[in-house]
Amino acid sequence: MISQKRPWRSSLVWRVTGNSVLLSLGIIWLVGSALFSQISTGIFEEKLANSISDSQSSIRSIQVQLAVAQFQNDAGIRKIVDQMISVASISGNTAGREVALLHFPVVRPVKNNYERTSNLLSTKSIPEAFRTKVRTSTGLQWSRTKITFLGGEKVNGIAVGGIVEIPNSGTYELYFLYGLTSQENTLTLIRNALWFTGLALIFLIGLVTWLVIRQVVIPVREAAEIAEQLSAGDLGRRMEVHGENEIARLGISFNEMALSMQQQISRLENLSRLQQRFVSDVSHELRTPLTTIRMASEVIYASRGSFTTKVSRSAELLIAQIDRFERLLADLLEVSRFDAEAAVMVVEPIDIVQLLRRTVDYLHPSRERIINIFSDEEIILVDADTRRIERIFRNLITNAIDHCEDKPVDITIVESEDAVAVGVRDYGVGFQEKDSHRLFDRFWRADPARARIRGGTGLGLSIALEDAKLHHGTLEAWGRLRRGAHFVLTIPKVAGIEMATHPISVVPDSELSTIVNPEDSEEI
Amino acid sequence: MTLIMVVDDDQDLAEMLGIVLNGAGFEVDLVSRGDEVMDLFRAQSPDLVLLDVMLPGMTGIEVCRDIRAESMVPIVMLTAKGDTHDVVLGLEAGADDYMVKPFNPSELVARIKTRLRRQISESAGGLKIGDIAIDQLAHSIMREGKVIPLTRLEFDLLVALAKEPGRVFTREALLNEVWGYRHATDTRLVNVHVQRLRSKVEQDPENPELIVTVRGVGYKAGVPGTKEQ
Repeated sequence: MISQKRPWRSSLVWRVTGNSVLLSLGIIWLVGSALFSQISTGIFEEKLANSISDSQSSIRSIQVQLAVAQFQNDAGIRKIVDQMISVASISGNTAGREVALLHFPVVRPVKNNYERTSNLLSTKSIPEAFRTKVRTSTGLQWSRTKITFLGGEKVNGIAVGGIVEIPNSGTYELYFLYGLTSQENTLTLIRNALWFTGLALIFLIGLVTWLVIRQVVIPVREAAEIAEQLSAGDLGRRMEVHGENEIARLGISFNEMALSMQQQISRLENLSRLQQRFVSDVSHELRTPLTTIRMASEVIYASRGSFTTKVSRSAELLIAQIDRFERLLADLLEVSRFDAEAAVMVVEPIDIVQLLRRTVDYLHPSRERIINIFSDEEIILVDADTRRIERIFRNLITNAIDHCEDKPVDITIVESEDAVAVGVRDYGVGFQEKDSHRLFDRFWRADPARARIRGGTGLGLSIALEDAKLHHGTLEAWGRLRRGAHFVLTIPKVAGIEMATHPISVVPDSELSTIVNPEDSEEI
Repeated sequence: MTLIMVVDDDQDLAEMLGIVLNGAGFEVDLVSRGDEVMDLFRAQSPDLVLLDVMLPGMTGIEVCRDIRAESMVPIVMLTAKGDTHDVVLGLEAGADDYMVKPFNPSELVARIKTRLRRQISESAGGLKIGDIAIDQLAHSIMREGKVIPLTRLEFDLLVALAKEPGRVFTREALLNEVWGYRHATDTRLVNVHVQRLRSKVEQDPENPELIVTVRGVGYKAGVPGTKEQ
């Protein structure tokens, strides 16, 4: 199922979309940065080239004007310089050009100082290092600078500087400063456009990925959900198939798989139903005549006093064998119910100690002195099927009594945290070690030549084992010839829980020292 | 004389049942089809009905429901299947008891006698359980002056619990006392009837106050108003 809490971890769509958004974010960032830096370099270089050529032509014309004015007096030159500055700052093909005319630094003030700047330009606009560079060279020099005005306003710009000679005054540095404001505005515009395009692209890429992935993932998710429903038992579910692409092929083979699974299961279900039906029918068909036979034999038996000895004995035998037949029929039906997996558990909380005591009381009221019950607890509650547990007890105790050779039978009941165990120990004939795994086979007898003792059906232990398994429990057996046997039933206290502990070991404590072969404790 | 209606489609078994029950001192009416039961039942008004589950015409469970709709007569189901499902269906349809074929005839007679027995206790006076008054002579129970109809078995079950208010009855003890079982651990029988009785006498059958479950042990008469675990 898709968790709503952590879509990132549980949903492929969100993960793929997220990843592609992150990746495209990186790519667009790189591309955008490269583009922007190229554009800004291009714009700057063009401006620089313009500025330099502009400065060159301006300086040349100023040098020519000054050369022509060398015979003028101070006022004349000043007038030329003023004109030169004002023309320079408004002419030229670049708007926003500022001009500064600075004297070479000298120790004492010179007369006829023509130092001048255009508008409100501050001389701070030209860094000292740049001035030194201009003074020491013959050609034009340029540098980036911050054009500073007297009002404190600052603008990024380019400064181009050269040297001019003013007659009767000396060498001056002439600087042209070009503001980059309009270029910066352009760049800001471009950057914003790039940002917007990038973000829009990322959003679109995310959206497209999401849509595309959904197309692939939705059928997969649908398949997963249908598989879950199939495994939950809804065998009729199928995928919808559209078109002929890979997803459609997935759907087709998925549906084929589901169909063949459904057919197999319903075939097995039918078999099982038939078997159950058969068991049920046999049960009914046999039981009704058996009831009549039983009642008839009881009526005959009741009046046996008026019969001859032979007839009277026959009546006794008849009734005893009908009893046996009944038990056998009941056991056979129970076994076939197990085989058909049609055995139903009726689980409820029961006090297993009380159940054990009651079973013993009922089975062997006259043999109470032979059977000892050892229990630390007065009450042990377990979730179990009373009828089945009682049947296990009955089978184990009857089996022990049948083989105990009038020695005592010890029944121990011990609980642990999650399990309860009942051990039935006798000290009678026992059985050979090698037979321990065959004991639970149907109709198996330790010694086929030996007469059957109490008319047991030969199915008791087999049914007891099935009953134990039905409770998710175990039934183990230990035995030695002439030293007796030990059967241990262990069932979980809470129905359906796997047990971690086995409170009673199948090898009796008194026999632990005699173990030679570790397989003694092998579970059946 | 006590009249028992035997409903079974197996002629031989029915006849045999007739012989056994006659021998035990009962008069017997034999019916072989489920859809013939009700007419005869109304005409004869038997004291007890022995009812097979599998019947032609109408199943024993349907017949049982029909009888219960108009009478509180004891009904003992005869079933060839010991499976839980059938038994529970029969009990839920209103049967008081059931016998699984093949049964022991003396056991059958003993159960029938228990079902017909009139319990007259020494102190045949009024018993009370919660706000319900039990009149043992009239064999009826009342809440606030209104009679609540109960089958005889339900009445016996309620009386058994009410007579010893403090005692916790195991299901086996109830089977012995109310159903007359000598030895049995058929808890379904008790559970189903306790549910039915609760649905009639409890104010809220989901939270019973009169017939309280004691987990793992059995039931006891509760005292309304006190919450018991």
